[in-house]
Amino acid sequence: MKYLRLEVLKLRKKTRSWLGPILVFWLIMLAYPLTIEVSPKNLEIGFFSVLWIAILLSMMFATEDIFTEDYNDGYLEQSLISETSFSYLVGLRVLIHWLLIGIPISLLGFVFSLGTTENLSLSLLILPFAMMSSYIFLNLFVLGNSLSLNKGSVLGAIITLPMALPVLIVLGKSITAIQLEINYSGFIFLLLGSLSIIIVTIPIVVSFIIKAHLE
Amino acid sequence: MFDFAFNSIGEAIYMNGHGIYVWSVVILVLISLLSFFIGYNLKIKKLKKKFNESN
Amino acid sequence: MFQVERAYKFILYSSLIIYIVSLIWGLLFTQEDFVQGNSYRIIYLHVPASFLSQSLYISMAVASFVYIVWRVKLAAYLVISIAPIGALTTFIALTSGSIWGIPTWGTWWQWDARITSTLILFIMYLGLISLHSSFSNYEKADKLLSWLAIVGAINIPIIKKSVDWWSTLHQSASITLTDKPSIDPSMLYPLIGSMIGFFGIIISLVIISSKYQIFLREKNKSWIKEYV
Repeated sequence: MKYLRLEVLKLRKKTRSWLGPILVFWLIMLAYPLTIEVSPKNLEIGFFSVLWIAILLSMMFATEDIFTEDYNDGYLEQSLISETSFSYLVGLRVLIHWLLIGIPISLLGFVFSLGTTENLSLSLLILPFAMMSSYIFLNLFVLGNSLSLNKGSVLGAIITLPMALPVLIVLGKSITAIQLEINYSGFIFLLLGSLSIIIVTIPIVVSFIIKAHLE
Repeated sequence: MFDFAFNSIGEAIYMNGHGIYVWSVVILVLISLLSFFIGYNLKIKKLKKKFNESN
Repeated sequence: MFQVERAYKFILYSSLIIYIVSLIWGLLFTQEDFVQGNSYRIIYLHVPASFLSQSLYISMAVASFVYIVWRVKLAAYLVISIAPIGALTTFIALTSGSIWGIPTWGTWWQWDARITSTLILFIMYLGLISLHSSFSNYEKADKLLSWLAIVGAINIPIIKKSVDWWSTLHQSASITLTDKPSIDPSMLYPLIGSMIGFFGIIISLVIISSKYQIFLREKNKSWIKEYV
């Protein structure tokens, strides 16, 4: 509980770190209509692809400096030797990033899709899909950024994006399924299953990687 | 099984218009393999030279 | 080390002979394909490379596992020696495939499952190489590289499956270990020969690049001074 409050405070104090990704998401969603001839039909064709990619990119920016500062000021080293398990701390930090960045972005995506498509059930379903995918992306980017710690986010992105592609494929397929009114619950379970595996494994792997950095 | 598939060398190079694709792939593969071999050999030679100088 | 040198020469020269003989056989002495015409002859260059591109990644992941668990230093050298060679084979597979695509599909690029996953594999190789090169501390770079190789190896089947599911157009594999091959024997033998030859060439490339890696890392040790 103590750590939870500490982590929330740390993220909230760095306004750029939590507001920045949300603004990036907003700007991408705003830029998309500007690139095409505006008509409701045109807008709907590419909207969901842009939405997923915008979520992906904003999650990338959200995790850009997730460990850098703590690495530089020695906090990581200190928490490695503390009695609380380090992977637990990593998982907590990801969770807080999701709560403060992932959920607002998912809500924003929902609002944007309300304005784009007239299919209300589709827009409503965007919400759980966006929430799950943003959590998965956050975890993946945390992994990439832990590998490329203090070497910039470009390297982390190169490493992580290939891993994120299957999630994008699932998201695209599920949108098609919803639009064609085929049974889509399988996709939700698929995402949920992979999310539950990722939530457990990635913090453990990340803690090993950060140990390798500090050795 | 071991008959020459073409009537002449020129035909073998041309391959009914597909020769340019086939032979460009051949050249590409040979050049890339060769450049790796040469590159590593040069690097090793450089390192060896350094050893000899430092000894 | 001297035995390795001899083995290296043996592997290199014998596989070169096998490769060149089966290439000449395949390119000039086999029948023209009924459907694809002469352009099918690219198979003798394309299939060996695409066959190895994934196996190299898997072998890299195995070496990484050995390094992470048992701390064998040589395994770490092997990992970073294989990475550029894996990238090379993947590059050969990609470019030869897209050149092959021009006469057969009429386009050099198709958004088809296997090509796309090979492209992703290529990017993953480049990511590995750039990760390793961005750290000046070799030991740290080795550890991080090994972790990434293992995570990537877990991901490869997932990526492959999902991309397969996303779309597929490519002709299915001509040679599988279980089924009867769907290719004429007169075309099959040179193909097998070129695969064996290419495999040997890649092995000798891996040997020479690990030799370079060992020289680079152990340059301050006394045994290497005696050896040189």
